[in-house]
Amino acid sequence: MRLKHIYILLLGLIVLSSYTTIQDNEITLDIKLLTTQTEFEAGSTIVLKFSTSEGIRPKLYCSSSYGSTVVTPSNEGTTLSYSIPKNISKKTGQVHWKLLNDATSLSGQFKIVPIQEVVSMETYIGPPSIEAGGTDYTMLVVIPTDSLDNALPDNTTVDAKHQFLLNETSDAILTKNSIAYKNIYSEEKSGRMLISSESKNTNSKEFTITVFPAIPTNFKISALRPHNYADGNQVTTFETSIIKDKQNNVVSDGTYVSFYITNEKSNSLKTSGTTINGVATAKMIHPDYETQWSIKAYVDGMAESDVITLDYNKVIEDFEMSFSKNNRVITVGPLQSFMKQMIPDGLLVKLLVYKDDVLLETLHKTSIDGFVNFNLNPNSIKNDIYKIVITTAGLEKTVNALQLW
Amino acid sequence: MKETSNKYLIAALLLGVAFHGTSIFFTLESTYDALIHLFFADHYAHSWFEPWNYEWYTGFTVMSYPPLVHQSIALFSMIGGLKFGMFSVALISIVLFITGVYRFSLLITGNKTAAGYAALLAVFSSSFVETLHVFGQLPSIIGISVLMHALPEIYLWLKTGKYWYLATSLSLIAVTVTSHHVTPIFGMIFFIFPLIGMVIMDAATEQSGSIKAVNFKAFLNSFFKLFKRIISFGLLSLTIIIGCILPYWINSKNNPITQVPIPHGSRDNFLEITSSGLVFFLIPWGILLILLPYIFYRYYSKRYLFFGLSITILTILGTGGTTSIPLLVLGETAFNILTLDRFTLWASIMSLPLLGEFAYRFIQGDLKTLIQSKFGAVYHRIIGGILAGLFIFMTIFTMSLGYFRPSQPQQIKMLPIVNFLNQDDHDKWRFLTLGFGDQMAWLSAQTNALTVDGNYHSARRLPELTTRPIERLENSKFKGVAGIGSLQQFLTTPEKYNLKYIFSNDKFYDPMLYFCGWQRLRQLENGIMVWERLNVPPVSSILPKDDVSKWQKLLWGIIPLLTVLIAFVLNIQMLWVNALKTKIKEAPVFLKYKIEYTKFSNNVLRVTHIWSIILALIVCFGFYQFYIKNDSQRSPENAIIAYYDALDFKKFETAYNLISPESDKTIAQYMLEVSVTDGLLSSYAKLDAIETSITTLNDSSATAKVITYWITPLEKIERIDYKTLSKQKGKWYLKSKDIDSDLPPDQLYSNNTTGYFNQGRRRITTEQTHHEDILKQPVLDVLSAKLVKFDTHYAIIGEIQNIDNVPADVVLKGTLYNEDNKELATYNAKYHIKHKLMPKETTAFKINFEGIAWSKTKDSIPKTFNPDEFTPIELEEQPVKFNLQAAGNVSGSDLYKNIVLNDIIINEDKIEGSLFNSGLQEITVPQLLISYYNHNKTLVWVDHVFIKEGIRQQRKQDFKYSLITTSVVKIINDSMNNIYVNGLPNEPISNKIVPNRIENHLNLELQKINHPDFSYMKIETNAYIGNPN
Repeated sequence: MRLKHIYILLLGLIVLSSYTTIQDNEITLDIKLLTTQTEFEAGSTIVLKFSTSEGIRPKLYCSSSYGSTVVTPSNEGTTLSYSIPKNISKKTGQVHWKLLNDATSLSGQFKIVPIQEVVSMETYIGPPSIEAGGTDYTMLVVIPTDSLDNALPDNTTVDAKHQFLLNETSDAILTKNSIAYKNIYSEEKSGRMLISSESKNTNSKEFTITVFPAIPTNFKISALRPHNYADGNQVTTFETSIIKDKQNNVVSDGTYVSFYITNEKSNSLKTSGTTINGVATAKMIHPDYETQWSIKAYVDGMAESDVITLDYNKVIEDFEMSFSKNNRVITVGPLQSFMKQMIPDGLLVKLLVYKDDVLLETLHKTSIDGFVNFNLNPNSIKNDIYKIVITTAGLEKTVNALQLW
Repeated sequence: MKETSNKYLIAALLLGVAFHGTSIFFTLESTYDALIHLFFADHYAHSWFEPWNYEWYTGFTVMSYPPLVHQSIALFSMIGGLKFGMFSVALISIVLFITGVYRFSLLITGNKTAAGYAALLAVFSSSFVETLHVFGQLPSIIGISVLMHALPEIYLWLKTGKYWYLATSLSLIAVTVTSHHVTPIFGMIFFIFPLIGMVIMDAATEQSGSIKAVNFKAFLNSFFKLFKRIISFGLLSLTIIIGCILPYWINSKNNPITQVPIPHGSRDNFLEITSSGLVFFLIPWGILLILLPYIFYRYYSKRYLFFGLSITILTILGTGGTTSIPLLVLGETAFNILTLDRFTLWASIMSLPLLGEFAYRFIQGDLKTLIQSKFGAVYHRIIGGILAGLFIFMTIFTMSLGYFRPSQPQQIKMLPIVNFLNQDDHDKWRFLTLGFGDQMAWLSAQTNALTVDGNYHSARRLPELTTRPIERLENSKFKGVAGIGSLQQFLTTPEKYNLKYIFSNDKFYDPMLYFCGWQRLRQLENGIMVWERLNVPPVSSILPKDDVSKWQKLLWGIIPLLTVLIAFVLNIQMLWVNALKTKIKEAPVFLKYKIEYTKFSNNVLRVTHIWSIILALIVCFGFYQFYIKNDSQRSPENAIIAYYDALDFKKFETAYNLISPESDKTIAQYMLEVSVTDGLLSSYAKLDAIETSITTLNDSSATAKVITYWITPLEKIERIDYKTLSKQKGKWYLKSKDIDSDLPPDQLYSNNTTGYFNQGRRRITTEQTHHEDILKQPVLDVLSAKLVKFDTHYAIIGEIQNIDNVPADVVLKGTLYNEDNKELATYNAKYHIKHKLMPKETTAFKINFEGIAWSKTKDSIPKTFNPDEFTPIELEEQPVKFNLQAAGNVSGSDLYKNIVLNDIIINEDKIEGSLFNSGLQEITVPQLLISYYNHNKTLVWVDHVFIKEGIRQQRKQDFKYSLITTSVVKIINDSMNNIYVNGLPNEPISNKIVPNRIENHLNLELQKINHPDFSYMKIETNAYIGNPN
């Protein structure tokens, strides 16, 4: 029992004595910053030195935009040296530090600045294609960085260089908030613009901007055809003049031009073409009846052509019909063209069968070797008297009373 | 007593493993189900304890199917890959089935020789062959096999009351339920209940002295005596059925199958749809049909009375929709969820013991004696030959079913597709397969990429799928309007599902893909065409899932294999003793109840004879009907149907043989004429229905009006043809059709066009694409846009122009809002737009707001097919505002513009005209976009028409278009405020690039029409090139 009391007493004394020593230490502590430099170059070795009277080694807390850490000192005699780790000393920016010590709240900050040389150029450009005419532009954005990927300080000079046709231009621009930028406007001509940038003897890679021509302006059209007969077989080709924009650039390949054709019946027909070197061609098959076409071409909402007119002459003056096999086989032909040659295969001939002015049946056939044979099926057209009408190539012939048996 | 090995059983096992073991390598992969199980196995192989699968649909849980078979395949796949696992499990299932049949037969007949015969015959039984080699239902086979193994144990428990047998029987029930959920539930009703009846009967027999002495009272007495055992077994097995796959039941409760029933052949009327009758009735029954009188006679004997009742119910339920009884018995819901072929399968399996018994009696028993004494030995041999011949014929016929009527497309080499998906981040988007059949499951098993489709329809979640009676999008062309309609929604708004790539093995879908705005990327080396859609965002890296608690995952991952382990440990002794005869075992009690085959009933033999004659007559009549219907030149109708059928299936030689020889057309000429016709109707149409009415008919000639209905991917086509037929030498022939004799003027054509190629990634690197490699999105200009109401539905119409210098792919997305800016509906432009625009080209557009068709299950689904059918969305409120988002992307494909409106004739209600193909590609499907204008030349409506015939190079094609008649079009909003191009407001961009636009430039060129509501119209052309060269 007594022994226990002694133990407690002893323990109490030990606890008490240790408490008093700590108190003593704190009072005598005296630490001062020896390092006077407050600006370091990124990547350099940064050591903060402190003078200390006792062999006490408080830890240093330091924090930068990259993160925070705690540094243990190494001491030579009365000097404490805190070596800032690489991951902090490599990044530019303010670094705050504080000694982890209860008594003295010694703290401060220093600045890490980028290395004054450019190793890489982070370059962005866009859009990659613009329109000629001086209003559209592309934006070049350059971020010069040092070897440790730190952006250089504001007002670093960057040369924005671009080549267009015969001109090579260089403009000095300054970085602001790490970024240097320039709007590069198109010129009057279309073409290809090559862009690069330079800062402190480091050059970016090459970028390409396509300068497309602006919207087209009015143009002319012409037509080319093998003959001016309405044979329903040959093809007429329409062609535009070289379509250009208002700065005289040839419009880009593939520009869609629509050709509207109005015939004598006021029906609107349409063909189209896309430009190659500014010329769009469109094709149209000849009509198979006599008519006049007036043609106008458009680039919708932007440009149009003059109107040209084309006449297509009648190719067949007249045709014969003959009846055989109880009048059930009707032969139309010979269908002869302008030089009395047989019309090329494929001319459409229509046969309409009426009974008491009511249309019973319409038969369509195309010519072969200048003839067309119609066969009236006894199952569908019974033996009776009918009116039949035959039309082809804009001609029409009627047999008012055809007896079938 | 010394046990001897049962030679029949050993023979059956050797034969079964050799026969099925070799043939599964040629059949199993082209069955309906096998590859689905393989996909599930792949899931377990990769994530054993995680039930959520992202690959199919938009994610689903594998807890929707019992896992044992899948997990076993997954386990074996660790050794030799997935297919090794599948074949191993299939081999195990074969062994299990044969031994199962033996044990079940021994239980029923009590005769080892008869049971041996049954096992031998089971190897070749057509229902087993069909289930394994045609359907590939491995879980079902394993389920029923293990159930058959369980039956003797159950009998012994009930009869002897030894707890050992209770343990073995319950362990086998557990294996059954973890491999297939339906088998033990219905097995309980159809196999175990009659078995209990049989046990009671045997107990009563024991008490009464003989089976004849058993009356109802004795039966009831025995029942009460055994009641405790029965009820304990019943309760315990119920607990096991629920407990072993508890997560499955929880999942079924949480996600009840609330989808539209998917039609299944087993629910058809077998007399009407004979193909279903063949597959789901004739084949599974096979030779058993002849023995039906014997089977029923035996099963209705006192001891087996309850089996008699059971097999009667199974037989009737298996007849599907032939009679209305199954529907009445099962009720609407169960009838539409269950596939009824399983009842026939179970009935046929239940008949196997008696088949063995019959064979035994016929080959070496009393039946042989009876027949030989009555009809002589020769007759016995002949009958034996016929029966054996029929039996083998059914087996060969069933095995070769997949060869003669392939249920699957040709096997597709998956490696190029797998490689494509792995390249260049293609698996960051979802994909879809078309025309792959069940092989899509195999593709899914090999890749990590996700698909919007899937092959396990009970697990579907998207309302676009669950509201349609379709199994897969992949084969939607077989599912009529519902299928194509569902597919169209996915194709029109793919960005909703992050769907970017389509692998097409069926060119049928090509026109639909094109007109929905998809473009061909390239053909893979296995012939699969890859289609892509621009402007689709990739799948987000975090996807939603329905998580379940950890205990469920553990239970699901552990219990199934544990049941196998326990069953193995409990039953190994029995196996060891039975197989190796290490010790003499007491014969099971059921062997006591075998009947002596001494006197075969004369009456049964007589009835079997009569029944066979009736069957033979039915078969003969069936063949005669078949002949009459298919003799193509017997009547004009037959000739016409045969001709169209031949055209439909591209059997041009058959079609030629139906052409009148008088026409002097050689087959070479005919084939040439066929080869030059292309277009929607001749290349992409499937004959749906044909109506023939003979208008005139005499001895030698006839005319007929033929109305044909064709399914095409774009629309339903109804065509009326007038055909003339003539009769020569007793055969009807069709008169040949005239061909268009148009000749283009030149032989050789040349044409200059501008081609485009987008490098994509210029640098070969897996890094993110460099910013300078990304092209600027082409600038589009929405010239006009307005919200209109046409009859009852709403649409956004307008015109859009590509004002950039490069060709653009255009995606248009419209959204409707009410007065309070509440979003009502969103949809994309489908057919009413030219999706590809050259620089400065304009197109009219229309966005129809489609609803999810038949989203209310009560809406009746139309029987007739019309892919173009359009279900207007049901809007709760009045839309008054709209938002239009146009996105352009550079595209170099499908820029064919050489289609010319060559001539038109305007009539009151229709327009006739001709188109001319001025270029060097054959146009497969020409399309006209028709814009209607009012008297102020204001655009009020946009319509379209597909021309049925293609246009060859430098040739003309006539067309007809009927003007729309009912036309109450009301412009609701024509404000251009909320229109965005590539995410930026339309107007400032438009003003910058085209500052002095000539407004309504083309108004001068509008076509005047005589129409009460519209004054002008404009026709634009668009073309699909099926085979670009």
